[in-house]
Amino acid sequence: MPRKNVRNFCIIAHIDHGKSTLADRILEACGALKDRAAEGQVLDSMDLERERGITIKLKAVRMLYRAHNGEEYVLNLIDTPGHVDFSYEVSRSLAACEGALLVIDASQGVEAQTLANLYLALEHDLEIVPVINKIDLPNADPERVKRELEESVGLDASDAILVSAKTGEGIADVLQAVVERIPPPEGDPEAPLRALIFDSHYDNYRGGVAYARIMEGTVRVGDRILMMSSGRTFEVNGLAVFAPEMTAVDALYAGDVGCIMASMKDVRDTRVGDTITSADRPAREPLPGYRPAKPMVYCGLYPVINEEYTNLREALEKLQLNDAALTWEAESSAALGFGYRCGFLGLLHLEIVQERLEREFGLNLITTAPSVRYKVVLTNGTVVEVDNPSKLPDPAHIDHVEEPYVRATIMVPTEFVGAVMDLCQDRRGEFMHMEYVTPERAKLEYDMPLAEILLDFFDRLKSRTKGYASLDYEMLGYRESDVVKLDILLNGKPVDALSCIVHRSKAQARGRSLAEKLKEVIPRQQFEVPIQAAIGSRIIARETVKALRKDVLAKCYGGDISRKRKLLEKQKEGKKRMKNLGNVEVPQEAFMAILEVE
Amino acid sequence: MKEPAGIYVHIPFCQRKCEYCDFHSIVVNDHSQFLEVVDSYLCALKQEAHWYAHWTESYQFTTLYVGGGTPSLVPAEQLAELIAFLKALYQLPPEAEVTCEANPKTLSAAGLAVMREAGVNRISLGAQAFQDPLLRALGRVHCSADIYASVEALHRAGMANYNLDLMFGLPGQTLADWQETLERACRLNPPHLSCYSLIIEEDTPFYRAFHQGLLDLPGEDLEADMFQLTQDYLTGMGYHHYEVSNFAKPGFECAHNLHYWLNRPYVGLGSGASGKVGAKRYTNAADVQGYIASWSRNEPLLAHEEMMDKDLAMDETLICGLRLLDGVSEADFQTRFGRSLSDVYTEQIRRLEESGLVQYQAGRLKVTRRGLFLGNVVYREFLRS
Repeated sequence: MPRKNVRNFCIIAHIDHGKSTLADRILEACGALKDRAAEGQVLDSMDLERERGITIKLKAVRMLYRAHNGEEYVLNLIDTPGHVDFSYEVSRSLAACEGALLVIDASQGVEAQTLANLYLALEHDLEIVPVINKIDLPNADPERVKRELEESVGLDASDAILVSAKTGEGIADVLQAVVERIPPPEGDPEAPLRALIFDSHYDNYRGGVAYARIMEGTVRVGDRILMMSSGRTFEVNGLAVFAPEMTAVDALYAGDVGCIMASMKDVRDTRVGDTITSADRPAREPLPGYRPAKPMVYCGLYPVINEEYTNLREALEKLQLNDAALTWEAESSAALGFGYRCGFLGLLHLEIVQERLEREFGLNLITTAPSVRYKVVLTNGTVVEVDNPSKLPDPAHIDHVEEPYVRATIMVPTEFVGAVMDLCQDRRGEFMHMEYVTPERAKLEYDMPLAEILLDFFDRLKSRTKGYASLDYEMLGYRESDVVKLDILLNGKPVDALSCIVHRSKAQARGRSLAEKLKEVIPRQQFEVPIQAAIGSRIIARETVKALRKDVLAKCYGGDISRKRKLLEKQKEGKKRMKNLGNVEVPQEAFMAILEVE
Repeated sequence: MKEPAGIYVHIPFCQRKCEYCDFHSIVVNDHSQFLEVVDSYLCALKQEAHWYAHWTESYQFTTLYVGGGTPSLVPAEQLAELIAFLKALYQLPPEAEVTCEANPKTLSAAGLAVMREAGVNRISLGAQAFQDPLLRALGRVHCSADIYASVEALHRAGMANYNLDLMFGLPGQTLADWQETLERACRLNPPHLSCYSLIIEEDTPFYRAFHQGLLDLPGEDLEADMFQLTQDYLTGMGYHHYEVSNFAKPGFECAHNLHYWLNRPYVGLGSGASGKVGAKRYTNAADVQGYIASWSRNEPLLAHEEMMDKDLAMDETLICGLRLLDGVSEADFQTRFGRSLSDVYTEQIRRLEESGLVQYQAGRLKVTRRGLFLGNVVYREFLRS
């Protein structure tokens, strides 16, 4: 296939604007999807992705399309994740394309991630094809959406394509626009190889599999390749494209998208953003933009049953094969025993990993409250990084502490601007900028501590704006901050796994509501359990879980003793899932309670 | 000596389903259709009774309990005929305790006479409460006036031995309501009272309402107060608190339910019934039509069966036996299992004693007052596997 008949494109959208459904329709229209009756959302193959309706790992599909001019085209659709946790992966997949379909919900309009993704795409010089989706909805208003596009970003929306991915209306126009409006790839197939890794996964038989866009040169089975960030070399033992099943090919040329297999031990050899070149004729420079994935959020993962510690390590090792962004190191807690401090790209990433560990590996886990990584400057001038609240040094030795800040962009209907400002201010946000995208919609920018965003910020934002607000954020760096360690005592004994680092101005309120929340989630025990919140030796809040007074099966059940026994067995199982701290049985959710306090 | 045993018969028919009840029963509205189903059901019951008669020759049956559902819905003559049949088949002695559950609305003087003739000598009346709004909220078909009428009918029929079922922990029920219920019940001077706290069971309207936040249930503290009041008040009125939920005038303890609590064998007959015969526990499928069809081929239709090994039998003996305020006799345990109670459960008993939940007293292991209220904590401890 000549280069001029190849198109590499992706779909970018705010979450829930219908990206996956549109992808399904495009595949279907190109005959790449034989049995659509199956399950829908072909590009989202992990169970979790389908259940949550989000795309976590991006993939590429190759389709054949006969255009109106009678010529056949190869269309490579590169899927991108739709969540802010994975914005680096988004940027890499954009770098692998020449154009992007920008999908906007015809009733919701432009949202924060629409803008964030669009700006990213424009940075990569992509040709943007606006697609207004869900025009079948009764409250669809494509004209308003076009106006928003033009007014907010100055994008010419006059040729936006109106579609309903649900009914299939407009899909043919989308395909034709991909061919006519998105330019073919450039790049010299004879030049030294430069291939951009935009995704990878681990395969039990093949090892690390790199999804790559060949920017220049050619790669053939049997070639020796060099990973430019690590300097490691491998021999290519398989090349493939996805149509959408894996189909082996002998070579991939400049402009192609496919996957490269070379008996790599795990995905750490195939870092997203890295450049693959030829070991025998290496390129002089790697492609721009590589950076190792960097965790933003940390938490402790502990097995409920201490004996499962080894299983947890094995599970983490296996997950890491498939998830280069996941980091972990052993740690121990006086309350929880041995476990791991893990680093994640964001809260969603954390939840996904936790769920996979429990679901795929059958582990019963306690997750401690997520924390950002603080930089602690000691009085002697040394700097230590702290991502575990219980490791915060003695205040007497601390000169000052710095915490990570983000620039948060929030899109919201104008009627909710006041509510959003209140919330941001309450979360220590510094107002930076506001503009009216249209008379009905405003864009707000705040500089905020990342830690405040972790504390249920998004849900609060949604509930204060009837679900209309959307959020995106990017890292700014570290700023000095007056934080203290808040400790929790159960039955008079401090529980290190319940400690958290909070801003001094919030400590009193957080301590009080955390104690209240814990009172709700810790069930009554045989004895009264005092819950105290403390800063240093100063108790700032106290609650009491009253002693259990009555807990006895009443009924006779017609003598059905099996049934009674089952009930007791179930209760006993429930007890096993709790952590026994001292004499207090603490359920798993207690350790996440800090996330739910106001 | 033959091992004492009981017979339970399940009559799975109701006029309507109560909002809280998850016992197996069906509602048949058309009267002639109902009579037809009853005929074939009783026929199937007899088949099943024959089947188990073979397996139970080593038992001395001493009690028969007809529960439901609403047994009093079945025409009295047919019920009497069934009872006579079972008494003969299982060779119950003439003085055997024969209990029949009844709903206050469905008890007639004539019906009572027929049942008495057939050997029914104990009635368990589902009174539940004496406040009509509470009865309506529970979805009961009767009102408090029906309770008085039924008890009157019992007295006229010479049925001196009867029980009233009462419930506490009901939505909207106050401590004063419960006190009133106890007082009114005691004024009738029944020989036996069962006081159950409401349990929200899955697949009931109450369960759904509860999860929609629509049930105003008394909290744990109020429920504990109600339980405490029950114990104090009824004991003061001369009742013997002999099991978690059961109170009797001396000599009127329910012999049938004692079989369960002493972990003795019992045959369970009928759709949804459960039984324990030898080392086997079984539960029939809760499916009236399936039950009838299956026994027309002379085959059981089980939902569940399991064999009890010795460890489980010991555990269940404790779990059931510690419901009795009299506790578990060390000597009986030794005789039955050939091992000493304190050897088998050294750790469990030590922990529970430390928490003040059980104590030894005159050769018996008993729950303390605290242990009575926290029974599940005690029972769970004796569930070893």
